[in-house]
Amino acid sequence: MPNKHAIAVRVTALLLMLLAAGFAAEPRRISVYAPQAVYQVDILVRDGVDYVGLTDLLEPLGRLESRVEGKKLKLTFNGADAEFQDGKRQCHVRSNKQELPGNFLLVDGRGYIPAAAIAQFLPRLSDQAADFHPASRRLFIGSSQLHFSAELRHAPARLVLSFSAPVSPSTFIEKNRVRLLFRREPLVGSGADTVSYNDPFVQSTSFVESPSGTELLVNLLQPATISTSDGGRTLTVSAVVPQAPPPATPAAPPAPSALAPGAAQGQTSQPRPAPRPHPFVIIDAAHGGSDTGAMLSPALAEKNITLALARRLQKELEARGIPVVVTRAGDNLLTWDQRAVSANTSHSSLYVSLHASASGHGVRVYTALLPAPEPSQNRRVFMPWELAQSPFLAQSGTASAALAAECTAAGVPVRSSAVTLRPLNSITLAAVAVEVAPLGSAAEELGTPEYQQKVAAALASGIAALRSRLEGAQ
Amino acid sequence: MISRKLQYIVLALVLAILVMGAYLVHLKRKAESIGTPPVAGALTAPVSGPAEQMVLYLANDEEYALRPIAVSSALPSDSGERGRLALHTVIARYLQKDSAHPLGAGSDVHDVYLLDPTSAVVNLNAAFAATHPSGVEVEQLSIFSLVLTLKAQLPELTRVRFLIEGKPRDTLAGHLDLSGWYDVALVSQVSSGLK
Repeated sequence: MPNKHAIAVRVTALLLMLLAAGFAAEPRRISVYAPQAVYQVDILVRDGVDYVGLTDLLEPLGRLESRVEGKKLKLTFNGADAEFQDGKRQCHVRSNKQELPGNFLLVDGRGYIPAAAIAQFLPRLSDQAADFHPASRRLFIGSSQLHFSAELRHAPARLVLSFSAPVSPSTFIEKNRVRLLFRREPLVGSGADTVSYNDPFVQSTSFVESPSGTELLVNLLQPATISTSDGGRTLTVSAVVPQAPPPATPAAPPAPSALAPGAAQGQTSQPRPAPRPHPFVIIDAAHGGSDTGAMLSPALAEKNITLALARRLQKELEARGIPVVVTRAGDNLLTWDQRAVSANTSHSSLYVSLHASASGHGVRVYTALLPAPEPSQNRRVFMPWELAQSPFLAQSGTASAALAAECTAAGVPVRSSAVTLRPLNSITLAAVAVEVAPLGSAAEELGTPEYQQKVAAALASGIAALRSRLEGAQ
Repeated sequence: MISRKLQYIVLALVLAILVMGAYLVHLKRKAESIGTPPVAGALTAPVSGPAEQMVLYLANDEEYALRPIAVSSALPSDSGERGRLALHTVIARYLQKDSAHPLGAGSDVHDVYLLDPTSAVVNLNAAFAATHPSGVEVEQLSIFSLVLTLKAQLPELTRVRFLIEGKPRDTLAGHLDLSGWYDVALVSQVSSGLK
């Protein structure tokens, strides 16, 4: 009898666990690393097959036009044509037949291909190499991969990790091991995932890829510290020496033969790479993911309009030679604080948040609704998170005026005001929010490429006019 | 071998869990969709006495304007009740068919609490937030209209905070921040720049 009771309890517990797991399951995404953008694409699961949306995948990579004709989807990507048919495996890419590993899907006017087809499909359409890692759901396009090599050195004992580009991993120094977690970097393994060393300091290294990032694990036999050099390209895991050696005199640098590349912290015999230019502007497409924003029409969500506007504005600015970063390049949800932190750590001079509305006409430019800063509230004074924008209000006002002037010049009606709109109050640089409404009465106008382009060009001109003023102040 | 009786009991328990879970979700959704019944403006005793002038600030979406209008009404002596009556009157105007700033059906204000003569907390009903049009400008006009109307009844007021069904809320309809206090002087200053 107790056995029966135990079985009944286990069955019930199992059912409850399955229910809980069902509720807790998170949406799956593919992380895409391309030279022009890093973004995520949601996975649609049909009949046990992972699918990705063509629009989500291709839009951040270049100019995409698509149209649905009955059961067919025709698209043009950077001048290359492709044609798909709902429920069919066969498709045409640049007039050549291609067999997909699963049926093409057309759902609500959006085309989906099996995730397993990306690595074959993309190179034929875009002339760019594509490397898809199914287990970690990471897609590398072009030469976006970041490689590393590990070299064990002695006297003093250290493991030198050299990367092909600067990295900024989360570092965890634990007992007998060091964990380096790369969440954003497109790091890929170099050869074997696990390497064993017959050494009294380093036992082994292992490299693990997962959807949440990659982890480099260094198993040690002695306590260690970690240091960065060569502009973030070299990480050195060094053994902690109980008695520090006598400090070297600055007047007697080590002989050149002892200076192996990246061997000493902060020193290198190789020329440093030219520093990357700081972005001038950070563009924040409001809403995203489960936060659709306003439903501008039954088929037009604010999140999609803001993203389309952000992409056009980014291209307009880049065409003018203005460095840009975006907070989101795909349909993903960011919290207000994440947006503010992205802006505040981007080293940009201007933050532009994009919104869309079916109400009213033209463009509205907003700054934060905050009291004017007191004389003591300069940028070096610690400010509460909700008032961090205060010392930058004057610059934000300048930016608002410049954007409004260019919109007016472009024939787009414009209004300026101040508003309590997150995350403006927490941005520590010049910050404005732009809300775009249709020129006429139809909200569908917001979805037209012509109107989006007109607004994006006007905003880009305003931002270009601001560059010298804001960068000088910065 | 598990007896048939025990199997039935386990099956019944599992079914009961699932049915109760589904019913709970149903009740939660129902409660969220209904909210508290709209206040018909009759929570307080009807006010009698001489009519006084009450200034309301009404929003106009098309013109992006906030315009003061004066109406005459018998006003309660309690400051909070005066404020609530003024806001109720403003919202009632927005619910009319020809409103220049239309709000969703059932929108209303439950209470206006005065923490002291300078600080007011406005408790709006669930329908106000749930049916409010989404957009920076349209949400700004609603909140500014309520703040300025309240200030017109309570001259000492310096700050106002908004709750929905007695609870703090991040935004009104996805845009305007409702998580903090509104500085009445700042709102007045920005509103003076509107038409």
